[in-house]
Amino acid sequence: MSYAYLFKYIIIGDTGVGKSCLLLQFTDKRFQPIHDLTIGVEFGARMITIDGKQIKLQIWDTAGQEAFRSITRSYYRGAAGALLVYDITRRETFEHLTTWLEDARQHSNSNMVIMLIGNKSDLESRRDVKKEEGETFAREHNLIFMETSAKTAANVEEAFINTAKEIYEKIQEGVFDINNEANGIKIGPQHSPTNPNLPPGSQGANQSGGCC
Amino acid sequence: MYRLFGGFGKPKNPHSLENLKHLYNVLLKNKTVTDNNRGLLVEVLRSITEILIWGDQNDSSVFDFFLERNMLSFFLEILKQKCGSYVNVQLLQTLNILFENIRNETSLYYLLSNNHVNSIIVHKFDFSDEEVMAYYISFLKTLSLKLNVHTVNFFYNVHTNDFPLYTEAIKFFNHPESMVRIAVRTLTLNVYKVGDKSMLSFIRNKTAAPYFSNLVWFIGSHVLELDACVSNDANNQNQIHCLADLVAEHLDHLHYLNDILTLDISDLNEVLNDHLLNKLLTPLYIFSLIPDDQLKPAQTSKPRMSTIVSLFLLSQVFLIISMYPLVRTLTEIILQGSLDIFEHDEDSPVSNKLIIPSFVPPPKTLEESLDSATTPSTSIVSTTESNVSNITDEEKEQILAQELQTGFFFETIIKALSCEENDHKALFALCLLHSISCNKGINQDLLAGTLIAGPSEKPKYNTRLVEKLIEIMSLSCQPRSGIRLVTLELTIALLKRLVVLNGRSILQDAHFAAVIDAKEESIQLAQTFFKNDDVFLDTFEDEYTDMKRKPLNVEFLMMDSKILLSPSTTCTPLTGIEFRKRLPCGNVERARRAIRVFLLIREFSLMLTGEMELQLPLTDRSNCYQVNSALDFNNADLIHCIFIGKDGIKAKRFLVIDSTHLILIEPDSRLGWGIVKLAAFLQDIEVVGDKENPQCLSVTMHHSTSGALTAKFIFDDHVRCMAAKQRLTKARTIARVQKLNQLARLFDLPVQTTHSSPGSRMFFRHPRSGGRRLPGFAAPIKVPSSSFAAAKNGSSNGHCRSLSSSPKPSTTYCPNEDIPLENIALKTINPANVASSVEEQSETSNASSSQDAPVNDTAEPSDLETSFSQISVSSKKTARRKGKVETV
Repeated sequence: MSYAYLFKYIIIGDTGVGKSCLLLQFTDKRFQPIHDLTIGVEFGARMITIDGKQIKLQIWDTAGQEAFRSITRSYYRGAAGALLVYDITRRETFEHLTTWLEDARQHSNSNMVIMLIGNKSDLESRRDVKKEEGETFAREHNLIFMETSAKTAANVEEAFINTAKEIYEKIQEGVFDINNEANGIKIGPQHSPTNPNLPPGSQGANQSGGCC
Repeated sequence: MYRLFGGFGKPKNPHSLENLKHLYNVLLKNKTVTDNNRGLLVEVLRSITEILIWGDQNDSSVFDFFLERNMLSFFLEILKQKCGSYVNVQLLQTLNILFENIRNETSLYYLLSNNHVNSIIVHKFDFSDEEVMAYYISFLKTLSLKLNVHTVNFFYNVHTNDFPLYTEAIKFFNHPESMVRIAVRTLTLNVYKVGDKSMLSFIRNKTAAPYFSNLVWFIGSHVLELDACVSNDANNQNQIHCLADLVAEHLDHLHYLNDILTLDISDLNEVLNDHLLNKLLTPLYIFSLIPDDQLKPAQTSKPRMSTIVSLFLLSQVFLIISMYPLVRTLTEIILQGSLDIFEHDEDSPVSNKLIIPSFVPPPKTLEESLDSATTPSTSIVSTTESNVSNITDEEKEQILAQELQTGFFFETIIKALSCEENDHKALFALCLLHSISCNKGINQDLLAGTLIAGPSEKPKYNTRLVEKLIEIMSLSCQPRSGIRLVTLELTIALLKRLVVLNGRSILQDAHFAAVIDAKEESIQLAQTFFKNDDVFLDTFEDEYTDMKRKPLNVEFLMMDSKILLSPSTTCTPLTGIEFRKRLPCGNVERARRAIRVFLLIREFSLMLTGEMELQLPLTDRSNCYQVNSALDFNNADLIHCIFIGKDGIKAKRFLVIDSTHLILIEPDSRLGWGIVKLAAFLQDIEVVGDKENPQCLSVTMHHSTSGALTAKFIFDDHVRCMAAKQRLTKARTIARVQKLNQLARLFDLPVQTTHSSPGSRMFFRHPRSGGRRLPGFAAPIKVPSSSFAAAKNGSSNGHCRSLSSSPKPSTTYCPNEDIPLENIALKTINPANVASSVEEQSETSNASSSQDAPVNDTAEPSDLETSFSQISVSSKKTARRKGKVETV
């Protein structure tokens, strides 16, 4: 359960672009996509290692809450990283990126790392947005970019981990105020790796990253 | 059957009824969780979810089996064994995935039908474990997203009057983890949104008072923290971060309250309004407006914040919340209320019944209140409370009616507009008044004559307030004024609301005269900074563009925590604070400020008099030639060149210079016509020769039809290059001198003062053309020499008016000049004939004076290329224009 940092992420983008599937794919690889079964989840956590340090990622999907301004506002503010997802087979999801980005920039803290993700890269035959277009958009708006597939798991690890690396670097550079939890970054419980409240056996289990 | 299958190990197909049966058997055999089967159980739970979702989408028999065997009860059994977070977390995530992915409404009903889910909700997890907490609250949130009028009955039990999903969740409303708090808020909103009557009455009677009283106390404590942060003089990065967070947090609270209020559930809103008004906004926010010296001894110990913070936060309230009863009551208190609302007055029979608004901690924590909510007492308390609040409202209105003239708080706010020391307090007082004035939820009758112009039959306004505002306006025109631009902008914005009714000013003569005085002062201030140079002109144009592009947005202003810092500590650009929100630093910024003050007051005074702006903008950049438009260039001089733009691509173009523009064209199919490829105003260009290549010019255009760019122009030979350079440079200087003259007129300065400028040096060289610029020049007599320029621009003075017609081929072109463009190109044109007033000046004056223009007219004979029809064109021009131009 011990970690050096905890990073909170949010996933944003139009409905149906596969946000919750990406989240589940990253946090629980045991759900293998077979039988055309789409499974997603709205929250997940996982431990990763960067620079020899244990870092816990907590990912919150904000789907279904757009109706309430207070909620979107607060989510943006509480996150250190955001995955902005569109569907490469549906151009409109790409066209809405500007609006998403404006929202994100307006509400989030200026240091939030945003990664642009073109999801469903496995559906090459139905591709509607060229990879170059995604790259250009990312370059213009100073985002990291990647095409992923929640189906084949292609680049899913990388998307989440690269975002974390970027945040980690910013911490090293002193850009983030890590003592301020409002930034979506938390320093791990340093005093002791063992939480006395937990029954034995729960330690280590999470460190495999497999619990969910 | 299944037993049989179950006995045969794991079926091959993981997504099948058979596998579910197998897993069921595994669960049966592992009812007790041990260290050994922990891993197995976790995997079984996970696989079950997968099969269930597959079944939901493909095979309904899977769900039947799951329900038949009551498999959810296994989940509960496992939970009850307190087997640690590893299993619990997986279990919660399994449920999350299950509820998130089920599409079939019937499957959902089945899953919810036997109250197991409620048992899981009330299970006492180990919430001290961050991970368990996060998964648990996500589980509740996921469930709340599944709520609708049908499913709500599975969660809210009418008979037992029990709604664990809601009551368990709100217990975490003040959890230290922000994501948990957000999830709770999401859940509450999702619950309210369902709109089930009996459920809502449960929420109102059993939970609303405890929840809202705790919520407002929570908000209030954040507010006090914010106040402490502001008054802490540390002024370091930490303070700034902390302040930003607390301000954002307050906005989040307000948005959340507003989200609840706008759902418009009257029962709920009544309770919420009551708590907001009587336990937070009045006793903390409005109470803090009372000056220290007017507090009763008994009041001094009550929690308070500084007037500045209170004005700031109240502005936020009015900017975000616009629900009628709340903002109306609050406005009444602010505009008409007296100090009596905070006092028990034994003599007054009415106020005896009043509950004195007070910011005190709730009697019990939310958890305690909810746990005891089954006892009827709480419910009675909440009803009495609301009864009392009803009385309060009515009685308060009566009292307020009596005290209509008092308006203690309004007076306080008007006093805060005084800017003796600085404009710190005044800015927030302005914000508050402006946001009340603009709030949609407030009855116009309440504001008319006080905070908006009206009523229409007999328009009036609050004289004291308007005088204060004009005073700020006048103060901002003083040298070394302590009024920030944003304060002036807001003052004017508020004045517009107060004294402009249906587009007409209702300002009394004396006040109008005061505004005009302020305008004169702003001109004087601007005069002191006026310099007849490029920098001043650019600054002026930038300020104008900036003012037009970024009008004041009060909502954004009130989101900026940095304005809470004292303006005296934030007056350098290093603070990263936007220019308009701080005092100027250094002479350059003081000039910028003076210009902006001038522009703002000018705009306002024009609005009051109902006049049109005729002199601004100096340059209407939207009125540049349009790319790809075709124009008749028959009379124009075209210089052939290779154009290399930003992208490095070379293109063959012809360069044309008219009185105001540099244009690059491409020949059109029609003889003598060209297609505009790039155009820029001459004043916006800078021309530099290329040291390496004498045939090449580097031209920087700060604005052009392709944005700002630096491009290279390569001419046929160095002579043409030199000629082009001189003509561009000269044309630019003249364009700028004209602009500066426009500016001087704007500032009521004599145009002659330009003699000391670089521009006037040029006049010196061209005495004949300079004559035109003497006072008589103020009249729009400058006539572009080229007919197409004339058609486009009319006169330079009336620029902004007459230019509404977009560039188009002029009808005044000489139709008989049928010289094909290609031919022109081959010949390359005599620079002296270029179509512009500049060139005309050159024509008339260069011969006698200019020494720095050897390739111009004087060099003409030596130039091999001769202008097409030079004589005829120029003679024609002279003939045509004689009456107008040749006044020299």
